[in-house]
Amino acid sequence: MKKGVILAAAGLLALGLADAGPARAAEITIGAQVPTSGSEAPYGIDMLNAIRMAAGEINAKGGVLGEKIDILPGDSACDPQAAVNAASKLVSQGVTGVVGGYCSGATLPTLKVYGDAHVPFVITASNSTELIGANPGNAFMINSTGFDQVKTAVNLFKARGIKTLAIINEGDAYSANLAELTRTAWEKLGNKVVDYEVVSKGQQDFSPVVTRIRQRNPDAVFWTAYYADGALLIKQLRQGGYAGMIALGDGNNSPKLFQLAGAAAEGVFCFSNPTANFLPEAKTFIENYQKQFHQPPGPYSALSYDGMMLMAHAITVAGSTDRMKIIAALKQTDNFPGISGPISFTPQNTLARSNFVVLLAKGGQWTLYTGPGAPGAK
Amino acid sequence: MPLYEVLLQQLANGLILGSFYALVALGYSMVYGVIKLLNFAHGDLYMVGAFAGFGVLSLISGWVGGGWGGIVPAILFSMLAVGVLGVIIDRVAYRPLREAPKLSVLITALAVSMLLENVALAFTGGQYTAFTTSLGFAGINLGMVHVTWTQMVLVGTSVVLMVVLELFVSGTRHGKAMRAIAIDQDACRLMGIDVDRTIALTFLIGSALAAAAGVLAGVYYGSINFFMGFLIGLKAFTAAVIGGIGSIPGAMLGGILLGLLEAFGTQIPGVGSEWKDVFVFAFLILFLVFRPTGLLGQPEVERM
Amino acid sequence: MSEAAVRLGRPGWSIRRALGVVVLLAALAAVPGFANNYYLEVLSEAWFYVLLCLGLNIVVGFAGLLDLGYAAFFAVGAYTAGIVTLRLGLSFWLSLPISVVAASIAGVIIGGPTLRLRSDYLAIVTLGFGEMVRISVRNLAVTGGASGLVGIERPTLFGYHLDSIGAYYYVFLLLAVLGVVASHRLENSRIGRAWKYVRSDEDAARAMGINHAMVKLAAYILGAIFAAIGGCFYAAKMTAISPETFTFNQSLLILLGVVLGGRGKIPGVILGALVIVIFPELFRDVGSMRMLVFAISLLLIMLFRPAGIWPEKWR
Repeated sequence: MKKGVILAAAGLLALGLADAGPARAAEITIGAQVPTSGSEAPYGIDMLNAIRMAAGEINAKGGVLGEKIDILPGDSACDPQAAVNAASKLVSQGVTGVVGGYCSGATLPTLKVYGDAHVPFVITASNSTELIGANPGNAFMINSTGFDQVKTAVNLFKARGIKTLAIINEGDAYSANLAELTRTAWEKLGNKVVDYEVVSKGQQDFSPVVTRIRQRNPDAVFWTAYYADGALLIKQLRQGGYAGMIALGDGNNSPKLFQLAGAAAEGVFCFSNPTANFLPEAKTFIENYQKQFHQPPGPYSALSYDGMMLMAHAITVAGSTDRMKIIAALKQTDNFPGISGPISFTPQNTLARSNFVVLLAKGGQWTLYTGPGAPGAK
Repeated sequence: MPLYEVLLQQLANGLILGSFYALVALGYSMVYGVIKLLNFAHGDLYMVGAFAGFGVLSLISGWVGGGWGGIVPAILFSMLAVGVLGVIIDRVAYRPLREAPKLSVLITALAVSMLLENVALAFTGGQYTAFTTSLGFAGINLGMVHVTWTQMVLVGTSVVLMVVLELFVSGTRHGKAMRAIAIDQDACRLMGIDVDRTIALTFLIGSALAAAAGVLAGVYYGSINFFMGFLIGLKAFTAAVIGGIGSIPGAMLGGILLGLLEAFGTQIPGVGSEWKDVFVFAFLILFLVFRPTGLLGQPEVERM
Repeated sequence: MSEAAVRLGRPGWSIRRALGVVVLLAALAAVPGFANNYYLEVLSEAWFYVLLCLGLNIVVGFAGLLDLGYAAFFAVGAYTAGIVTLRLGLSFWLSLPISVVAASIAGVIIGGPTLRLRSDYLAIVTLGFGEMVRISVRNLAVTGGASGLVGIERPTLFGYHLDSIGAYYYVFLLLAVLGVVASHRLENSRIGRAWKYVRSDEDAARAMGINHAMVKLAAYILGAIFAAIGGCFYAAKMTAISPETFTFNQSLLILLGVVLGGRGKIPGVILGALVIVIFPELFRDVGSMRMLVFAISLLLIMLFRPAGIWPEKWR
């Protein structure tokens, strides 16, 4: 009996691992490392859709180097171990490159996996500064870092005459870091953070926090987490009678915010890469995305689309699927015209120039804010 | 805002939050009381209920509008549908394991929870769905404290549902059968009580209550998603334990208490809100150490 | 194992059985010779979860206590390794004894208040403890806050730098084997019998002079030590740890492995750990539905094997 079970277990193992065969021939396979299960799935699926859409458009135009691009999803589940498994599987499947990377904590340990295999990795969402030091040289971050965002945010607050600030985050690495950095920068200027709140992910009722904010009555509230919970917070803040300024981090730049928050979102500020309706390409992107997936793009969809396009561009420049050549081509990227702004890299493979803009919610959509405190405005 | 108004507002916040917790905790507690199962899928029934209600409302709001005229049928349908789903889950996943160790059923409940969550994920593509109604923001003002009619209806509905349930369990034959099964299943069989049917009834009622809470949450907060049952499931479990798991008035009390604890927890001076949950749990553990059966639970000798 | 061996409290070894184990271990040790990195990653994770599940099995299987916060002990080990190497600049190997001490303290903290409680209240107390640990490491500066600790040094053993997945395959395989041996010895020891006695009838056990409080505390502490040692090596392998790894879901997953396999039965628990790691990987090709398929398979396993895949014979 015992042997039988051990044999069965061994068989199970063999079965489980046998399916990771080599990639299909005559196609260029690109891995998409995003969470498609668990609580972060909504954001991961937003990214995967955009990567697939970019690949579809490339293929419709004849592909890259005359070959079609095939997208292999790797579910990172926003968990370091699951992400490492996904990454090693993608490597074993012989992907030419990988696009994606959401949840810095999960992206971090995969850098080494891709680094050892010399797989080019375009990171389209994760932007923790911890990634920079751990990068073996094959990864490229096309999202601006938290420092850039804080600078943009603080400038806006200053220019709008804000004196007291409330900061709310969800306790995950991304939103907590942004909140922490903002608090430090804001207090360094001699200003006050009158309320600093951490709420749970997936919380629906913010009324205790709203009441607390009304009691402290800050000039502005800064929400550093994502749009889905942010929409509820905005609604409840306004319904609770808070009339001050509301600003949102870059995880909120999605038209979906308006579906969920409705009229309450009017007049809200959001810091973001310039994905909205200002570039003609971006406009077509939003329309096509809506048509293909019957929903508006998420906050990191445009960046993920750019990431895939950048990868295809680098393969074309390299002239082959030689991964080292692609990495070299990525390094040389010079003002690649992404729909979220031009992309060039620093020697550390981060975005050379922050593209952050300030968006203002007006008439149920995001518009570019050009008033006092906008980047570039004097 | 003066402090007394802040506290008054937090009281209102806590009661509203607490009535949601209580509604979900009731189902937890009922099922536990009858078959000693921590039904981890219960929070997900709340989620399914919200989606069912949303489906009905979007179908009929063309005729009856997005006000209470549409919401009430949506709640009733959702309660029925999810109640039946609860019975099916019991029949398929829990009944075959009636004689198995309790922990095995717990794991089965986890699997059911995962299943419901991932089916909803597959159906919605992970998207948060806007639950739009035409409910306004009118209400009454007490100084700077504003309570909307919607909020009052929510709390009212919860209270009515809870009172009806308590009357049902304490006053009717079926309710008596439930309580009898909680004490001794085998004796009940010998006395001619249809045990499986009574357990099914428990699941029907508990699941329907979770569904009602789900639709009400959708109406009130305006956004639903596949993951919304997780956190409230955890909270409701906590509430049920505070109140004394297995006890219906206990679940209500526990829910309200937890809601108030969370609302006033943000007002504790000198404690950063990032530590709030640590204090809530520390309080809970200390409370249980000194009162191991919760507020209204019965002391009991048991073996696992 | 024969009944006599159980009674004697010593593992019984037949030649055939010993030979089988040697062949199996040799086969497992040979895996890095032909498997690619993906197989090694998954198998390392599997061995790691074997260790965790065996640790939780002491609490849940042997002593019959419910624990919904086991990930906390795993966190204690991982963060000890992180703090010892990063903050104190000491050798990784020092983190092993320190984490054992830390885990024992944590075991007493969680075990102490729970001694008086019924199993269901135990559930919420252990859950609460797990959440308290997770939130605390998320908030404290020494644990790196929400982003956790990054850049943990990988250790060197006898001049060999443990810096490849192949090396960690052996590390975790060795840990799993040690876990099996330790579990086996514990199960058949004096305390192992006391656990089972308390599990099946606490009052009778007390009447027979068993100090039930000490026995239960020992289960929590020993279980915690398994997770803490595993956690140290987890930190070394991942080189980065963050609070998001140590959630309630992590605790549930480990419990799932124990019960699914057959709590109290060492080979069953091993099997359960393999299932929870390998099944989700199996279904990777199903794409976004993989957790759905996983849930269905769990349900089916529990329905057809209610006491676990390979249950212990008791009750």
